[in-house]
Amino acid sequence: MSEDGFSAGLVSRNDIAELAGLFDRFEFAFDPRSLSAKEAESDFDDALRKLFDERVAPKFPNLSFVNFHGKVKSLCRAYLKKNAPP
Amino acid sequence: MKACLNFEDILQVGQPQLLEIQRLGETLPNAEMPEACAIFSRQVRIIEGVVVQTYGVAASLTRKSDDLNEIAEIWSRMSFFCQSALQILSGLKIKYPSCGTSELYDLILDYKLACDKRDKGVLEESACQKMDFPPGLFPEMT
Repeated sequence: MSEDGFSAGLVSRNDIAELAGLFDRFEFAFDPRSLSAKEAESDFDDALRKLFDERVAPKFPNLSFVNFHGKVKSLCRAYLKKNAPP
Repeated sequence: MKACLNFEDILQVGQPQLLEIQRLGETLPNAEMPEACAIFSRQVRIIEGVVVQTYGVAASLTRKSDDLNEIAEIWSRMSFFCQSALQILSGLKIKYPSCGTSELYDLILDYKLACDKRDKGVLEESACQKMDFPPGLFPEMT
């Protein structure tokens, strides 16, 4: 178990950390029209799709992308809570 | 300081500004009168500030909350506030096209769509809370 409260999985804690950083930049952006928020959302969606297609779908073919997407966003929220700046 | 506001209180703070632009739209004769456009443009800037600031508060509250139902409620209420503003502005942007109303309408529409997208996303997250995912797929949280 790592210090940030996550153990290993097919989707690693580093994956969640990177996705959480992007999620933070668009989901909680004060200006949803900002270039930063739009780029972060696009990067998040691309990274999540790549992760799903390359690693998850081949091993778990019955899992839908919509459900994977929803679960990852909840994990991102949890990661940000546990690793909030002091 | 112990005094605090909830999100509904913050939305209520912005409500009089929406009513004011509606009142101005009904009482000022037309945009051809220079003073009318100046008065109207000032109110447009105030409402832009209200919407941008209130959206920022909503984003900040949803970042702090652990409760997906509460988060969905915040985005839903913010979306409703934007919708109220859009309904008022839809007529005014025709009557006062050169006083910033069209730009304000577009900005609020973008903010409303952002609220709706987040609300929908949270509902999808909520549905996933009840699902069983394959063991070993995700890292476990303690």
